[in-house]
Amino acid sequence: MSDLSSGSCGGCSQHRTESLVRLGLNPDKWDILIALAGNPNVGKSTVFNALTGLRQHTGNWPGKTIVRAEGAFAHQEKRVKLVDLPGTYSLQAGSMDEEVARDFILFGRPDVTIVVVDATRLERNLNLTLQILDISDQVVVYLNLIDEARRKGIAIDANQLERELGVPVVSGVARDNVGVEELLDRAHGLAVGKTSTTPYRLQGYSDDVEKTVASLAQSVKSIFPNVPNTRWVALRLLNADEAVVESVRTGDLGQLGEESDRPAVLTNQRTQLVDSARRMRWDLPTDFHDRISERLYDAAQKIADKVQMRGLSKARFDFDRALDGVLTSRLFGFPLMLAILAVVFWITIEGANGPSGFLATLLIDNAHPWLRNLADTVGLPWWLSGFALDGVYLATAWVVAVMLPPMAIFFPIFTLLEDFGYLPRVAFNLDALFRAAGSHGKQALTMCMGFGCNAAGVVATRVIDSPRERLIAIITNNFSLCNGRWPTQILIATIFIGAVVPAHLSGIVSAGAVVGIAVLGIVVMFGTSWLLSRTLLRGEATSFSLELPPYRPPRILQTLYTSVIDRTLIVLWRAVIFAVPAGAVIWLASNLNIGDASFAEHMVSWLNPFGVLIGLNGVILLAYVLAIPANEIVIPTVLMLTVLTADVSSVGSGAGIMFELDNNDATGELLRSGGWTLLTAVNLMLFSLLHNPCSTTIYTIYKETQSAKWTTVATLLPVVLGVAICFIVTQVWRLAV
Amino acid sequence: MPEPRFALVLFVTVVVLLALLLWPKTGLVPRLYRLSRFGQRVRLEDALKHVFMCQQSGQTSSLQSLAGQLEVSTGQAASFLSRLTEMGLVQMEGDGPKLTQEGAQTAVRIVRTHRLWERYLADRTGVPPVEWHDEAERMEHSLSAEQTDQLEARLGHPAWDPHGDPIPSSAGEIPPVPGIEILAVKPGRTVEIVHLEDEPREIYDALLADGLVLGVRVEVVGRRGRAVYVRAGSREWTLDPVTARNISVRQLPIGELPDLDRPTLLEVRQGETVRVVEISRACQGPQRRRLLDLGVVIGTEITPELMSVAKDPVAYRIRGALIALRKQQAAWISVQRLNGRDMVEVA
Repeated sequence: MSDLSSGSCGGCSQHRTESLVRLGLNPDKWDILIALAGNPNVGKSTVFNALTGLRQHTGNWPGKTIVRAEGAFAHQEKRVKLVDLPGTYSLQAGSMDEEVARDFILFGRPDVTIVVVDATRLERNLNLTLQILDISDQVVVYLNLIDEARRKGIAIDANQLERELGVPVVSGVARDNVGVEELLDRAHGLAVGKTSTTPYRLQGYSDDVEKTVASLAQSVKSIFPNVPNTRWVALRLLNADEAVVESVRTGDLGQLGEESDRPAVLTNQRTQLVDSARRMRWDLPTDFHDRISERLYDAAQKIADKVQMRGLSKARFDFDRALDGVLTSRLFGFPLMLAILAVVFWITIEGANGPSGFLATLLIDNAHPWLRNLADTVGLPWWLSGFALDGVYLATAWVVAVMLPPMAIFFPIFTLLEDFGYLPRVAFNLDALFRAAGSHGKQALTMCMGFGCNAAGVVATRVIDSPRERLIAIITNNFSLCNGRWPTQILIATIFIGAVVPAHLSGIVSAGAVVGIAVLGIVVMFGTSWLLSRTLLRGEATSFSLELPPYRPPRILQTLYTSVIDRTLIVLWRAVIFAVPAGAVIWLASNLNIGDASFAEHMVSWLNPFGVLIGLNGVILLAYVLAIPANEIVIPTVLMLTVLTADVSSVGSGAGIMFELDNNDATGELLRSGGWTLLTAVNLMLFSLLHNPCSTTIYTIYKETQSAKWTTVATLLPVVLGVAICFIVTQVWRLAV
Repeated sequence: MPEPRFALVLFVTVVVLLALLLWPKTGLVPRLYRLSRFGQRVRLEDALKHVFMCQQSGQTSSLQSLAGQLEVSTGQAASFLSRLTEMGLVQMEGDGPKLTQEGAQTAVRIVRTHRLWERYLADRTGVPPVEWHDEAERMEHSLSAEQTDQLEARLGHPAWDPHGDPIPSSAGEIPPVPGIEILAVKPGRTVEIVHLEDEPREIYDALLADGLVLGVRVEVVGRRGRAVYVRAGSREWTLDPVTARNISVRQLPIGELPDLDRPTLLEVRQGETVRVVEISRACQGPQRRRLLDLGVVIGTEITPELMSVAKDPVAYRIRGALIALRKQQAAWISVQRLNGRDMVEVA
């Protein structure tokens, strides 16, 4: 993931080989530029990691790398820059990924393009390989996963494949570092010009098309003599490929130097070329694009038939099939899925208790007073230590203590399931439900991810390749009750809802209430998806595709490492960045006085009538406004504001200093003295589920959608819904009581 | 604290009012917005387009035809024409209105926007075919020339709209209209439908509903009175002359067969291997491209392998990979059975 490029390179020196020295990221200069291309889920990222030593996350999921990742290493005294292109099925520039990949190979002028090919799905992978060979001579093919192929009884003659394709072919197993060294050597040889290639070029469309292509290619050749494959350019012009048309128009295609140097005569000719290509298009058959794909697959199949032996060892037991038979069976499919998810959540919540408590004791109970003492000793003015320690430090510490442990447990487990290949099966099983709501089965996964963290869930929507369905998944992700909100739910349910029933039932009932809220979130998610797909997103395009990759044994240690790095820490970092100003604002709001009361008190009394109308109160509303950066600090802020406004002096540490009480009874007492009732508690639980996403998530939504409009919709929709539902509940409650 | 009953009633009222006002398409605000745009300019552009279309098809437009097309009185139609003449877009000649050069350019631009928008709706959105024309009728008046050019670039410079009509280029060139009327085809020939006239709406909708869409290959069997009788596989159609005039076809070389009744991927049993014969023309744009890229092309062998809990989607073995397709997608893919040949052992 691109986010990683800002991180540091932790385990770079692992797997060090003699001629391969890893340099981490983004070198300023390089001698050789290598692009890494391939189908989704063929182990491209694994090859990337093996070469650069970076732990780029490599999920068993088609379509992980959306924005290209870059890394570098030194090989035989040359600095090599490696660019990991998004995994694509083709280069026809139909989607954003394909455009990124194609443009880089075509216009980024890499010295070598390494095509990673999955040996178990040779034909499909050759389709892309042939398209790349059409653009570039400088290609090395890395035949990955030959161990998996062997297990499936497939043998591939790499030498024969090399002869067929006309470019170097290296076979290996990237995850075990097999063949990586040879791959580098061959790529290096090609880059420095020691070896040359005679790439396979697709020929022979029907006569009429062939004639058109040939005459256009001739014109291309006369204008751009140094373009390697004029035939391909002609085909792309006939396909009205915007990037190619534009590069012909401007002359970028032939590297004709600066705009001003380009002779006017040629400019004219180039325009003519584009125009004549457009006219030729009218005479092409309407299924021209289909025919190109047919030709490609036809060639791919012929090559595959020549180099591949299938069914060598008839596997006695097809593990994948047997497992799929169980995991997607009518009988066990859903129960198994629910059981697995329940276990994951249970482990997360139970496992996080200890570390969270420890962090809270360390950072809040011990470090905070110690820092205050230190500040007093040094003689810092009260406003400075208040602002920095009570505001900024405390908010940050709180976010870290509450957020880090569950994420550090949840994400690795989730990642293990992902690496194993189970999650695509979940999407497969649940797709029918999501289809009914007008969305994509993969939304099941981004939804689950949202239970860990909504920001991470929003990032995870990248696996949904259909724009409409992806937007739905992004907008509705906030309805997954995230880790930051579970503690609020559990606390309030225990204090208020558990108290309504006899003591021996209170545990079960309050737990049931929390689960009920989470389930309500899922219901609202489906409802909103349905509504969106029929109103705001009605016209957006749809395309469904879901590949079920073979099961692969997850690598536990690597997974722990990478998922902590690229999910947990990135999300935590973003949260901390937003928590710092929030801490400052909370402290300032409670300590800046306007007239005889603090800003916070004014706000509370101003918000209170509206709060009461929807069954909450001013304190809660202000807490949600102030605590936009992280749901984790809502309860501490609520307690602090309650003390501030309700004139309770027995607890709390002072204006603007968030706190929590060790004891639920004491918390309950404090809240009740702030005017809380059972209705307030129920509404708080509802509002905690249905309110705007935290600012980390809002920011992530903006980054992912690049659209202020959709970010606004995603932000406001849940609040409006939450206010409406709290209002209705309150009024009906008051009517009934 | 307000009285709950009152508060609830007030709330419901506000929500209902807001919905009535803002509901997409049918709400008051969207309606008013549309009405406000449906002004003088739109009428004039429609009039211009009518004159252009008549000129294109070799007919002459008249005051009556214009009034009929725009559903206005002849008096109003006359005022539109005189306004267009004032603007220098139309010249009145002996046999009716003719477009000036400027008028023709404007008309081509409107037609271009209309057809590009239909292409856009067909390729990139989930809007159903019967709504394309009306949506495009609205958009043709509101996109600027630059916006239209951007749209064209985004769509990859398509040459044809989804009905088979040519899309004029930004320079105003129009590709020749393909095909001949189906009425002109001799019995016994097999033809492919290359163009469907989308007006009048009723006929077009009926053709779509009958399964006569672009790309369908039929055999012209003969005449039944003035109607044309065609068939493909077990399906057959009797086309009255008015309907038939709306269908343009391309004659296929003698010996080419009409479409057969082919099973789709939906009807294939688990574990049975079949070969792809065709992907329906109804599947366009990114959807089609995705299928092609995944290796679903003519000749590809496919085996249904795994059913999800709800039976939809189904995972198919396609060129070595296990790929889940929804029912809707599987229904687009026509296949041929392999007559029991064992396809497993291909070396």
